[in-house]
Amino acid sequence: MAGVILWMVCPKGNATALLSLIPRGGKKPKKRSFRGVSAISGAVANPVRSSEQRVYDVVLKQAALVKEQRGKKALDLEKTSEKTDGFTDWDLLNEAYDRCGEVCAEYAKTFYLGTLLMTPERRRAVWAIYVWCRRTDELVDGPNASHITPRALDRWEKRLDNLFEGRPYDMLDAALSDTISKYPVDIQPFKDMIEGMRLDLKKSRYMNFDELYLYCYYVAGTVGLMSVPVMGIAPESKASVESVYNAALALGIANQLTNILRDVGEDARRGRVYLPQEELARFGLSDDDVFRGQVTDRWRNFMKDQIKRARMFFDEAEKGVSELNSASRWPVWASLLLYRQILDAIEENDYNNFNKRAYVGKVKKFASLPVAYGRALVGTSKFI
Amino acid sequence: MVCLSRFFVVSCTVKPSAPPLSRRFVHTKRKLNSRWQSMATDPDSSFSAPSVDSDSTADKTGAGFCIIEGPETVQDFATMELQEIEDNIRSRRNKIFLQMEEVRRLRIQQRIKCAELGIYKEEQESDLPNFPSFIPFLPPLTSSNLKVYYVTCYSLIAGIIIFGGLLAPTLELKLGLGGTSYADFIGSVHLPMQLSQVDPIVASFSGGAVGVISALMVVEINNVKQQEHKRCKYCLGTGYLACARCLTTGSIVLTEPVSTVNGGDRPLSPPISERCSNCSGSGKVMCPTCLCTGMAMASEHDPRIDPFD
Repeated sequence: MAGVILWMVCPKGNATALLSLIPRGGKKPKKRSFRGVSAISGAVANPVRSSEQRVYDVVLKQAALVKEQRGKKALDLEKTSEKTDGFTDWDLLNEAYDRCGEVCAEYAKTFYLGTLLMTPERRRAVWAIYVWCRRTDELVDGPNASHITPRALDRWEKRLDNLFEGRPYDMLDAALSDTISKYPVDIQPFKDMIEGMRLDLKKSRYMNFDELYLYCYYVAGTVGLMSVPVMGIAPESKASVESVYNAALALGIANQLTNILRDVGEDARRGRVYLPQEELARFGLSDDDVFRGQVTDRWRNFMKDQIKRARMFFDEAEKGVSELNSASRWPVWASLLLYRQILDAIEENDYNNFNKRAYVGKVKKFASLPVAYGRALVGTSKFI
Repeated sequence: MVCLSRFFVVSCTVKPSAPPLSRRFVHTKRKLNSRWQSMATDPDSSFSAPSVDSDSTADKTGAGFCIIEGPETVQDFATMELQEIEDNIRSRRNKIFLQMEEVRRLRIQQRIKCAELGIYKEEQESDLPNFPSFIPFLPPLTSSNLKVYYVTCYSLIAGIIIFGGLLAPTLELKLGLGGTSYADFIGSVHLPMQLSQVDPIVASFSGGAVGVISALMVVEINNVKQQEHKRCKYCLGTGYLACARCLTTGSIVLTEPVSTVNGGDRPLSPPISERCSNCSGSGKVMCPTCLCTGMAMASEHDPRIDPFD
């Protein structure tokens, strides 16, 4: 599941332009002259579907792919690859994985510590995925983002296609390519993340939660879907594959929402507001209130509501963690509990996310580890 | 094939009112780039487009230069002749030179306008390198700070000299263990008494040398840490990543399937190797994060590292 979520701080960076320009399939239902078949064609012509439904389709597709492969071999992949097709040079590959680990340790320290709780093979796979995601994010949100054009993203996507076909371009791509050969990771979440980056170049405001949900899916939900095949579903789990993927997705969304709620002030200073405009209005707030940065009672009520929703997503996610492979449960629980505590920290700061950073102290972080271990000991609970 | 000027236009924040300035340069550029006309985009149009539109203008030029490398990058400039390539390099370097001068003048105007409007922007120096102190825990150096540094430094030295030269002998300070002098200390650890006859000049020289050497080491280590901090973490400052296609060898071995059904008598021909198209034989490809500068934050000042260094 989404042990990788912790690091997802940056992707918000350019997201402000994102969501309003998604070509919403079927937003304007086509006007058809009435014919006998119009009822059928109406259903085919894609009535208005929410982002949640569209994202759920992706989840179903992922689960279906996995079930196909589950029929062929066990999902618990502890095997080391025996490939000696001359394509890989092991020293170079190991060096590539080490570099991935270094980058991870540099940019996401807590997350890196979390990966140390995983098995060595999984750790390397997660690092490779992390580095690819971070490189993609830095394309549009990094120091050189001003030079990135849509064409550059197309080329980046072409490189992704190539590496999935076993033809990586550089050594960091090669690490991901090797990971893909060992774990049944699908290309769709990666493509969706690039799609999210494309939208990232355009959007600055989110009208409603539906739009925000899609954005969160693109930048964080995809990571959850990417990491489920690496974490592995426990063989004795009776839960449906869709539910595990759903839980991973929920964890990604929860983490992203937590990020957003923690960084309201920082984003506002850069002119970005990730909070849904409709919901702000419902509580009598507007962009100006966000920019002004003053904690009022309205703001407190608004934040309480937002935090409640983020917690709901965390609860959704918790349902799926126990279905994972036993070796992967501890790091995932740890990351879930740690990130959840950020919401508590926001509350302790009296909802002042304009000036105060909601920070979980080292002591609290360390204290979560044994709690996570305890919860990880509980395996799958579904005996249906 | 879009000229590199597009790339540099993106990095400067040009105000739409720039044209009067650029026209002078247009003439000089046009004289120099007669052969390059077909390649150049119109400099006027490039300056009238603010950086926000860079995406759309890049697309409008058709070919569209792309900053990220991929397997097809070799095609971008592969069809030119050697003389053409040299001319292109010369004209582009000229353009860069002139544009750096334009940036300088624009910055002057920006400063003037900001002063007129009473806006004081803190980040005006943001893209010029700042000046942190090499010694850890000390505040960053500026020209006003430097005076304070001098004063502190000299007074510390004077104080230590006075202490060592005058105060300590006067007070007969015995800094050995338990208030003993050096001779007593040597006696207590049962070493030959000759060792206590330390020549004061030798002693002070050694002490000073140890102090200086350790100070220089501290400064150097701190310097390295700071430089590392500025280094691109993906390529570790080299600007390049290993090419995965040829595995840094620079060449690919072409394998042809050979049928063993008939013609079993013919010996196998040795495999042909050709230059790897991904990295053009250098064995390494561009690091897309630092764009071959090796720095974590690439600016137009940073030179692009060549792969054959």
